[in-house]
Amino acid sequence: MRLELSPLLKIIGDWITSLGLPSWLVELIEMCGAAALVMGMAFLIILFLVWWERKLSGHFQQRLGPMRTGWHGWLQTVADGIKLFQKEDIIPKTVDRKVFYWAPVICFASSFAAFACLPWGKNLWPTDLNIGILYIFAITTFVVISLLMAGWSSNNKYALLGGMRSAAQIVSYEVPLTLSVLGVIVATQSLSMVAIVGAQDKVYNWFIFRQPLGFLIYLIAATAETNRAPFDIPEAEQELVAGFNIEYSGMKFAMFFMAEFLNLFLVSAVAVTLFLGGWHGPFLPSWLWFLLKVFFIVFIIIWFKWTYPRLRVDQLMEFCWKFLLPLAFLNLIVAGFLFR
Amino acid sequence: MAYDLPVVGGIKNLLIGLWVTLRHLFSHAITLQYPTERWTMPERSRGVVVLLSNKETGELNCTACMLCAKACPCAAIMIERHRGDDKKWKVDSFSVDNSICCYCGLCEEACNFDAIKLTPKYEFSTYDKSSLIYDVHRLQELGRDVAYTPRVKKAPAAAASTATATTPEAATETPTNPGEKGEGD
Repeated sequence: MRLELSPLLKIIGDWITSLGLPSWLVELIEMCGAAALVMGMAFLIILFLVWWERKLSGHFQQRLGPMRTGWHGWLQTVADGIKLFQKEDIIPKTVDRKVFYWAPVICFASSFAAFACLPWGKNLWPTDLNIGILYIFAITTFVVISLLMAGWSSNNKYALLGGMRSAAQIVSYEVPLTLSVLGVIVATQSLSMVAIVGAQDKVYNWFIFRQPLGFLIYLIAATAETNRAPFDIPEAEQELVAGFNIEYSGMKFAMFFMAEFLNLFLVSAVAVTLFLGGWHGPFLPSWLWFLLKVFFIVFIIIWFKWTYPRLRVDQLMEFCWKFLLPLAFLNLIVAGFLFR
Repeated sequence: MAYDLPVVGGIKNLLIGLWVTLRHLFSHAITLQYPTERWTMPERSRGVVVLLSNKETGELNCTACMLCAKACPCAAIMIERHRGDDKKWKVDSFSVDNSICCYCGLCEEACNFDAIKLTPKYEFSTYDKSSLIYDVHRLQELGRDVAYTPRVKKAPAAAASTATATTPEAATETPTNPGEKGEGD
């Protein structure tokens, strides 16, 4: 893996190479550096996203949201984070300890691993895999396993139900999600995220204009994929209290929480990369364009949350298999004819 | 399910829903940030109970007639009194237990002398329940700055015609409520 980052990082990379270390060590240092950079970025994004969601949720209900910590409450997430760090880590007696321990780790790690091939801006990506989009969908599937682990090991009926529900939901919605993405892949003839962004250099080339149906299907399926309202039956508060994470506390809970927001950012970033031209845009720097577009998609998903009531389990499944799936096939067939 | 739905109409309704929430997003938030902003309470709102004093002499308006204590549905008002040299009742102690007061305002209704009143003041939380029992001094201090409109004393039509013999002094000494007086007549 080689870093393909901005000139400054190139200079640092050249400097490390010039120290005369063995090449495998240079590569390892570069990998760790890139991972640390992306990790830092991810934490900043989580901090912002939690605040962004809480402010938007407030204003959608004509409230203000957090106001006391810093200017319009921008330090609220920091305060919450410090609080969660101080919390006692309670592990109930009856849980399956090993599985219980590893579930949040796997959840967070698999969400975070998918950040490896996101193109953040012009020449600003950790790595350009030639199977980038496939890698993202493959690695985020581990989230389902971690939710099942959490639900099963908690030894709690609510947690088990929540875990089962989210597994069923995510596996079902993975199908229309992948099919809607296939339309873009058919058009660009590539699985690489960078190549897909490269194919959308002009605004009229953006896939949202060439495949609007695909974009809509992706957006709906992605909302379901992140277990957000109106598809939030895995953590339906009125029935399941909190769903799979009910027995978790302290930093373990925080890891699930952070993974949820990482996932939200991830599906939005993939939507931007595939349909909204990635980092392409006039005047502003490319990474800013990317972030602006992603936060706009996040805004739309939060907008859905505060507009639509939760679906019932059977409605959710019927909507996926009987409505979204045929539409996704239709989109794929049309894309196959138009972009061959 | 999905095929039975008129899809176009359904999508239209979904968009209408989105439009409604978007309008709410951009409309003014109605939150009042409490410790820094406060409502101005109306003059007649029913908050904590106070005792009013005569503005000139500074003495309590209360004549220790016990009407408020009798009217109180939750027995929050405790009065001890004695008869003074001039044969009038004097207040020995007057306390209101705010932990059981239900702010109904019946004491204010019962009082004939503008002596007890519910005020717009409402921030009286403490860490100790026993400190919610206010004695006469506290109640008087709270009532110092309370603005109020003295009630217009109107003799009841029936009482004015039949009870002309009763002197005002007698009325103050043995106050009875109008209902009982009506029965007597």
